[in-house]
Amino acid sequence: MADRTLEDMLPFGKAPALILLITVSAGFYLAFHPVSEQRATMRFWTFARNHSVPYQKATPSFEAKHPGTTLDVQLVHGEAVTSRLRAAFWADLDVPDLVEVEISRAGSFFRGPPEDMGFIDLMPILRSTGYYDRIVKTRFAPYTNKGKIYGLPHDVHPVMLAYRRDLFEAAGIDVEQIRTWEDFVRVGQQITVPGERYMIELSDSGAHHYEMFLFQRDGGYFDAEGRLTMDDETALETLLFFIPLVAGEGRIASDLGSGRVFTQAVEQGYFLSFVCPDWRSKVAETDIPRMHGKMALMPLPAVASGGRRTSTWGGTMLGITKACPNPELAWQVAEHMYFDKAELAVRFRETNILPPLKDAWEHPAFDEERAYWSGQPLGRLYANLADEVPPQYASPLVETAKSKMSGVISACAVYYRENGEAGFEDFALTRLAEAAAEVRRYMRRNPY
Amino acid sequence: MRSLLFRLQHRYAPYLFVAPFVVLFLVFTLYPLVKSIQLSFYITNGPKSQIFVGLENFRFLYGDPAFHQAVWNTCIYACGSVFLQLPLSLGLALLLNSNMVRWRDFFRFTFFSPHLVGQVFVAVLFSVIFIPKFGLLNRVLHSLFDVAIDTKWLGNPDLVMPALILTSLWMYVGFNMIYFLAALQGVDRSLYEAAQVDGAGPFKQFLHVTLPGIRGVAVFVAVLSTIGSFQLFELPYVMLNNTAGPDNSGLTVVMYLYQNGFVAGDLGYASAIGWTLTFAVLVISLVQMRLSGTWKTED
Amino acid sequence: MSGSKIALYTALGACAVLMLTPLVWLIAATSKGPDDLFHYLFFAPRVSGYNFEQLFTQIPYVRFMVNSIFVAGATVLVQLFFSSLGGFALAKYEFKGKKLIMVLMLATMMIPAQVMLAPMYELIYAMGLVDSYLGLIIPGAVSVFGMFLFRQSMLHLPDDLLQAGRIDGCTELRLYWDVVLPVSRPMIGAFCLISFMGSWNNFLWPQIVLHHQDRFTLPIGLNQMVGLYAQDYGSMMAGTFLAVVPVVILFFILQKEFIGGLTAGAVKG
Repeated sequence: MADRTLEDMLPFGKAPALILLITVSAGFYLAFHPVSEQRATMRFWTFARNHSVPYQKATPSFEAKHPGTTLDVQLVHGEAVTSRLRAAFWADLDVPDLVEVEISRAGSFFRGPPEDMGFIDLMPILRSTGYYDRIVKTRFAPYTNKGKIYGLPHDVHPVMLAYRRDLFEAAGIDVEQIRTWEDFVRVGQQITVPGERYMIELSDSGAHHYEMFLFQRDGGYFDAEGRLTMDDETALETLLFFIPLVAGEGRIASDLGSGRVFTQAVEQGYFLSFVCPDWRSKVAETDIPRMHGKMALMPLPAVASGGRRTSTWGGTMLGITKACPNPELAWQVAEHMYFDKAELAVRFRETNILPPLKDAWEHPAFDEERAYWSGQPLGRLYANLADEVPPQYASPLVETAKSKMSGVISACAVYYRENGEAGFEDFALTRLAEAAAEVRRYMRRNPY
Repeated sequence: MRSLLFRLQHRYAPYLFVAPFVVLFLVFTLYPLVKSIQLSFYITNGPKSQIFVGLENFRFLYGDPAFHQAVWNTCIYACGSVFLQLPLSLGLALLLNSNMVRWRDFFRFTFFSPHLVGQVFVAVLFSVIFIPKFGLLNRVLHSLFDVAIDTKWLGNPDLVMPALILTSLWMYVGFNMIYFLAALQGVDRSLYEAAQVDGAGPFKQFLHVTLPGIRGVAVFVAVLSTIGSFQLFELPYVMLNNTAGPDNSGLTVVMYLYQNGFVAGDLGYASAIGWTLTFAVLVISLVQMRLSGTWKTED
Repeated sequence: MSGSKIALYTALGACAVLMLTPLVWLIAATSKGPDDLFHYLFFAPRVSGYNFEQLFTQIPYVRFMVNSIFVAGATVLVQLFFSSLGGFALAKYEFKGKKLIMVLMLATMMIPAQVMLAPMYELIYAMGLVDSYLGLIIPGAVSVFGMFLFRQSMLHLPDDLLQAGRIDGCTELRLYWDVVLPVSRPMIGAFCLISFMGSWNNFLWPQIVLHHQDRFTLPIGLNQMVGLYAQDYGSMMAGTFLAVVPVVILFFILQKEFIGGLTAGAVKG
């Protein structure tokens, strides 16, 4: 008798009907826009958008040079690339031909015996093509295992110090006079006002800044033979130097914890300077645009007069997998993507990332003056430091060592805050040894 | 003949109806599970190299200080979830259930909305909110309660867990509130009236009418919360910038599993961790349900 | 207004502010250009469409949205069918192995997904389902949570109704379709929303299974904006905001059913 309401017409309720409607609509859309499947000749996985975009742009020119081949550059999210790659290696399926791996994950692919390594040794082809001598040699270290090179370095990542040029000038600081860390600390102590202004941004709870100091001193978590060195003399020295910078009275550094966004801190002069590898300079330009023209770069102060004035932070490698049926063609892809000088210059302008190919730095793009950085030739500054970049050595346990180290740093910072120098060296030594012992426990499980 | 078919289908219908679950379980749960149990007896060193080690992974695990830390952190978080979050959800539900409230729909939506955005985004959002000196939280706390403005949350090992609990409180209180609200609305009003006639004040009514009335849902929510909090991974991992936080203070069991399996590459060890966790959570949940007599209320 | 009313509204209001503030921050972030994004805490004096522009030009956002809608919707429908069927069996029948099944169901909810990633990937690959929508939908075809929910709500179904049907010659399946489901309408509504939200925000498994960018769902697609070196926060916020909109719309449309369903199912627990 009553009109049929909507309810009556939908026996199962509004919800499923609505969902059915939108699903079918979406389905229609997808049916009319099918995924363009291609059986590509070469498959290349990468995890960073600012890598995949230029590679995809460079794909047509590659395909033109090698008619009949197709290249599929896939962007896979950071964590997924390692898990998917690992799953692929493990199950021996769906392995790409070329893949980029980040430095912190690279070592974990070196776990097993060399015959089981999923990547091919690139040393022969590097030597025969002569590229071996044209690339900054220390950048092979993180991707080398037992004398074989498994990855092409994507970058150099030299580290400089970015600072508020205007505030330094206002305080009468002459950057040319800061040559060693001693100089730097002296100036820092004069200028730091706790709670308001710190000389530099450094973390007292994580290891990412500490390790830059460690590398600068030729230290590291592991050495070239894969032995654990996180508790050796260099490490202790670095720790004893680093902690007073970030904790206790007389400290000149602070940090914001997550370290992601520190725009306001730099704008308000809370941090007068911060550690700046080449990639971070672009982050500064993007995230802190209001400091345009007020920033500048200086080399890291040296540990001792005449010493190394840079360090390194981060990295990516390109590997060719053993599963690849055509390694020569894969090498062509790698060469096209990594060593085309004109292309590298364009990318440098967009990302500030210095390529490891030394002759690429002759391109005028690297001498361009950057207004953001008070007219400094950013490329030339980083390129000049490239040869001094210290090596990092790989191991599957780098991340484990790093996280143990962050515990040591936290604990030392707390101790130093409460007790100052009294008994500090012994405390640091004990903590370092404990952390190292825990890492060694893990190492013993792996016979390789 | 027709009658035989009829009786057959009547008899076997339930088996047919649960068959999809069973099939999917066998294929997508049991098989990978068995594989991963198998894996847990090996040290995985590379694509083809697996070394059989028997129970060594488990022995190593139980002596591993990092694992202990992970368990401790996860338990703290689980306790915070159950003992902080649930009473808050219940409290909010009680407030919203009161007769005096207008705009109930608005409030309901507001409290539920945090849940809509997904864990990864919440992690990014809150990692920015927790920034010392410039972040939202510190600014508010400083101006309202004079808390030190450069208090570090995610950089301070002692404050990482509280920060995480706070974040998940924000995210899940509203979600659980909805369940409690539904349960509260299902309690028979006449029982309240009867209690009032007996001279019981609001608190007594709450104890003797409300709580028993929502017991089923409360247990359900508690069990779900427990299971969910033991699986915590994405939230702290993203908030702490793909690390376990200062001094491993944000390390949870699943994070530890992920680090060992997918970062360091030892899938065998990761499987051992996963199995231990599953077993532990199963035991805890069964105990929870036994204690609250869930199995009995079925008849 | 009485004192207790004021107190009530104050408490509720305070909570509402706490809940909404981060979301307001999100909306503010979507409207700020790159110069202002981190300079101003909430809203900037000027509004910029830059983030949305970036969002739609840098990544195929619309495609991601459609993918998400399709996968979530299909998942809901499939789960709805299988879970309600299973829940019905658990509620209204006695059969051998029922207790075992329920314990198994509980167990599946406890296994951390990461443990099974590698074996499941191998399995999906062997089945030829890798990099496909089916590879997302099939493993999730039955929602154990849903089975529990439906069982709970169907427990209260009067048995006489079912008996009457059987006397009339209905098969069990007919009973399910014509009698049980319509009566379970509220719980269906509730489950649809829960299931949709679960699938919508799913990240871990799709990330592994989907290879081709054209099939990416929103969470994966959005994560692309978080680069290795620099994070394009503004667009990410814009993308997240838009990703929430469909769920919010669904919630508004289905709010009454959602609450009603939980209420009906929760009685007497």
